[in-house]
Amino acid sequence: MKKPLAAAPALLLVAVALWEIVATFHDAGAVPGDDAWERGAVALREAYKPGELIVFAPGWIDPVGRLHLGDLIPIEMAARMDAARYGSIWELAIRGAHAPEVAGLTAVTATDFDGVTLRHFERAPVTIVDDVLAREPRSDGMKPTVELAEVGFAPHRCWKIVPPANGKVTITFSLTLGSKLVGYVGLADVFKRRDIRTPGELEVHAGATSVDVHAGVDDGWVRFELPTTPGPTDVTFVAKAVSPDRLICFAAEARQ
Amino acid sequence: MKPKWIGLTLAIATTLAVLVLQRDVGIARDETVYMAAGSRYAEWWTGLVKFQHGFDGKLIDATFGGALGGGGNPEHPPLIKLASGLSHRWFHDKLPILDELTAARLPSAILHGVLAWLVFAFVFELWGLAEAILAVACLIALPRALFHAGLDCFDAPIMTLWFATIVAYWRCLDGRRWPWLVGVAWGLALATKHTALLIPFAIAVHYAVLAWRAKDPLHRWRVAVAMAVIGPLVLFVLWPWLWLDPIGHARAWLHFHTTHVHYNFEYLGHNWNAPRFPWHVAIVTTLFTVPTATLAAAAVGAGVWIAKWRERRDRAPVLLLALSAAAAIGPFLLGSTPIFGAEKHWMAVLPTICIAAGVGGIWAARQAVTVFAQLPQRVALGVVGGAIVLAGLAEVAVSHPYALTWYSALAGGAPGGADLGMNRQFWGVAAKGVLPELATLPPGPVYSHDASPAWGWYQRLDELPSGYPDSGNEGAGIAASKYALVIHELHFNRHDYMIWNAYHTVRPRFVLRSDGVPIVSLYAR
Repeated sequence: MKKPLAAAPALLLVAVALWEIVATFHDAGAVPGDDAWERGAVALREAYKPGELIVFAPGWIDPVGRLHLGDLIPIEMAARMDAARYGSIWELAIRGAHAPEVAGLTAVTATDFDGVTLRHFERAPVTIVDDVLAREPRSDGMKPTVELAEVGFAPHRCWKIVPPANGKVTITFSLTLGSKLVGYVGLADVFKRRDIRTPGELEVHAGATSVDVHAGVDDGWVRFELPTTPGPTDVTFVAKAVSPDRLICFAAEARQ
Repeated sequence: MKPKWIGLTLAIATTLAVLVLQRDVGIARDETVYMAAGSRYAEWWTGLVKFQHGFDGKLIDATFGGALGGGGNPEHPPLIKLASGLSHRWFHDKLPILDELTAARLPSAILHGVLAWLVFAFVFELWGLAEAILAVACLIALPRALFHAGLDCFDAPIMTLWFATIVAYWRCLDGRRWPWLVGVAWGLALATKHTALLIPFAIAVHYAVLAWRAKDPLHRWRVAVAMAVIGPLVLFVLWPWLWLDPIGHARAWLHFHTTHVHYNFEYLGHNWNAPRFPWHVAIVTTLFTVPTATLAAAAVGAGVWIAKWRERRDRAPVLLLALSAAAAIGPFLLGSTPIFGAEKHWMAVLPTICIAAGVGGIWAARQAVTVFAQLPQRVALGVVGGAIVLAGLAEVAVSHPYALTWYSALAGGAPGGADLGMNRQFWGVAAKGVLPELATLPPGPVYSHDASPAWGWYQRLDELPSGYPDSGNEGAGIAASKYALVIHELHFNRHDYMIWNAYHTVRPRFVLRSDGVPIVSLYAR
């Protein structure tokens, strides 16, 4: 007769197998179904006011969230520059996840609907003084267009410009500035990012201040901010690229 | 029951399991290319055998040649496509006993049964009946392998022919005078998929070790000659395209794969489409796509092998299995080898894992019997082996029919895989799951997205009523559509946004899910 330890491998294998059987079926049923989502959606609709932001977490459940509440989400909201303008945020989340938009915030209310957690967050929104997406640009080259673009695998409404290789395009907006200009820049189109690996560049000049932002193929939607003097002025964006066909997208808001 | 009948039963059961399960699996975009090419290949060979034509170069080029990435699909060798085309011809056209798709997928299913037989025979000879049964059962209970075996593609077949080459080489090391078997097996592997070119790396190292031990550099030299001569010859005979320009076309074939475009692939939350790729892709993906109990048993088996490394040194089968696995998975540790397709590209590692699991599981059960003397050995073998296999079968049950979205319990299942940012799926297979919902809606053109190449097949197979034609590609297709699909992969998000723009809504009408994870969205205008 051997020492009892000799049975350990067999017991361990049986234990692992039993755990796997239980875990496999548990995991397969661990995501809340449509009933739970519908109950969460009904509760949200009762308290929802137009213009409030709705987000879902984790990101991969977004299609299901839009299935239940997509009618409350205009394209402009889904393809927002960022969430700073929203003072009221509703989050529907599963599996203990949180949307990045509510990072650092404390929920005012939180209710669980069989695994779908509805949370409401409130905060002081930023004051938007002006928005480049609402203004007509002047360009010394190709005219930019407002697009709903994929940048960093997320939707963003932005001005899209394609500078010539080793060249630049200067785009000017007449804006009313607040105390700062906040914007984002990124490279649109996953296939262009795969096939053209060089970064794009955006210089931003607002009065006496400027910033130079580089957006690489894996950088996504890159934030920039520069202090500004309140009042009307021309803000200039200079888009540069080394390679042809570099789809540079940007958006910016003058904020108080 | 005699062991050979047990092995045969397991092999037939494997093939039948594949054939039954594949009926629920959608059509992969690559399958449509291979099925079309296979029909042409079968027609050409049939015409040749019936003396309807000769060796006309123009006809050969029109059938097997054309542009790489198009035309006659010359970027992949012909064996499985030819088998698929002949199967379609015989079992659907002539003897209408199978539907078109099943007939085309039959050769791959049969080859998976052949793999089960080879694993059984090899393990039975070396380790015993119980080990052989458990190894084959572990092989059958691999969700991703079972899925790939049900497609008319090359990934499961090359696993079979890779292992067939390994087994044939091992047998030919017995000193036989004419070791032609290994050459034929490798030739068939070469005629299946280019990854067969990695097999000699495993065999060369193994051969060198045996030669060193024998202190004879020419030890079993006929085996090496058989591989070097017969292997390429079999490839040449089976691939008429090579007849036109053997060197040039072989070079073009290999150049296509050594400079292959990097498709988008999500791994640990990042979309990868350019090197350098993380060195651990193959290891982590294998850990998450082989049932955990099978991996645990394989770890025990590896331990047993290491502890008994002095045994069976004459032909060193364990070393051969280890080298085979290393050759299959090794290139994917380099960071430059394309990672799209994930485990399907290194599936040849799986026989080694399953054999190790068979050896490890049975060894553990036998050890337990030495402690619990009153425990009958058969019971111990049944409990330990049965538990391992049941765990794998549980994974198969939840993975079906969307096995590309499935990840093992170690990853947390499909939802855990999604949380970890593992690849959701590829090839547009999941579109089949949306067809019943689509059929409830008024007819109209459909933007079928990644399922576009398969759309005609779905209509022909009556999976979709008439009145839902494919509306075309990208923006023009969406503009002309009444309904639109998005097959969810990270890099396909842009298709959602194009549809939002055209349909003026972000709200899908239906979201197909696998274990709660979104895999296809259906929008209605």
